Amino acid sequence: MTDGTDRVAVTLAEWPDDADSDEGVVVNWFVHEGKHVDADDSLCEVQIEKVSVDVFAPVAGTLAEVVAGEDAEFARGDTLAWITPDAE
Amino acid sequence: MAEQIDRELTMSRAMVEAIATEMRENDEVFYMGEDVADYGGIFDSTEGLREEFGYDRIMDVPISETAYLGAAVGAAQEGMRPIAELMFVDFFGVAMDQIYNQMAKNTYMSGANVSVPMVLTAAVGGTYNDAAQHSQTLYGTFAHVPGMKVVVPSTAYEAKGLMHNAIRDDDPVAYMFHKRLMGIGWLPAPDGPKTPVPEEEYTIPFGSADVKREGADATIVTLGLHVHRALDAAESLAEDGIDAEVVDLRSLVPLDTDTIVDSIEKTGTLVVVDEDYRSYGVTGEIVASVADEALGALESVERVALPDVPIPYARPLENEVIPDAGDIEAAVKRTQ
Repeated sequence: MTDGTDRVAVTLAEWPDDADSDEGVVVNWFVHEGKHVDADDSLCEVQIEKVSVDVFAPVAGTLAEVVAGEDAEFARGDTLAWITPDAE
Repeated sequence: MAEQIDRELTMSRAMVEAIATEMRENDEVFYMGEDVADYGGIFDSTEGLREEFGYDRIMDVPISETAYLGAAVGAAQEGMRPIAELMFVDFFGVAMDQIYNQMAKNTYMSGANVSVPMVLTAAVGGTYNDAAQHSQTLYGTFAHVPGMKVVVPSTAYEAKGLMHNAIRDDDPVAYMFHKRLMGIGWLPAPDGPKTPVPEEEYTIPFGSADVKREGADATIVTLGLHVHRALDAAESLAEDGIDAEVVDLRSLVPLDTDTIVDSIEKTGTLVVVDEDYRSYGVTGEIVASVADEALGALESVERVALPDVPIPYARPLENEVIPDAGDIEAAVKRTQ
């Protein structure tokens, strides 16, 4: 998913099966804006009810923008950040 | 850290990364504790390790500290390298014989026929209303008894380096990690412990304190959570024109008195901050060590620690007894 400018959205790929809630909280970010990440690097940790889950980079690139910072609440499907993919 | 590191880790992830690396390289390393396998440690100290290493090497133990700490001592004496965890440092009591009479003394009493290359990890610290038996920070108790090294990380970077060193050490090491520095969702850390952490292995030598903030007017010597509270206090003091130096001990045994004395010779003022009880502990030890070596340089002393009371459960009372940045700032101001 992109926003029309090549940037790729970072979302929680798999919502926990046993979670009743559709909302979560961002607990820890591991990368700052402007830093490079590889595909599948752990970007941040979120908490849904009592369960902590990592959110991974969908592609390699630069973390262009953090949308949901630490302590931010988010809903299922929300974009948490944007990555500018590395040039092919 | 010369090259730029793009990722930061929480303190718990940095500890786990060190443990995982050592376990991959040496089959003799294993972790035992309460709720360390599927649960990943109640303070995330083993998060993810059971999935990689299985139940034999990430071992849940019964609620019997005497039994499993004793087993760890035995395993270590047979050549394994166990890491055994006290879920709360407060639980040492029932197993203290295994800790201070076995783990700490068997090397000596056997004439070095055995060594005890184990790491005793323990969660310390309050600030989250867990009351008197689950909130203690017993640095003094463990540092006082000879035969074990005692280290206390304050950031992710230090946590990984100290853990690598602890596992590789052929002698017993007590590794005391503060619950509020781990980066857990339900016990949020202050800004500070989450730092860039190199991907490769590295060690931090024991007996080496780290100056976290340079300053000319006062020396704040501290460890663990209070490194971050001292840094907050220093920022606030700077606004009042007082330039505080913050020394993170990192290691209680061995203790780096040289770094502390160098700082006192610069500032003349010693403020020691400790989350353990005031009497017969870290604050007294640091003041006495400096007085031993550099009495002439010492103009002013403040000890900031918990009063000698069981830690309260009521939130306002607990906040009152555990020193915060304001208490540290006030103590520094009293010396100026």
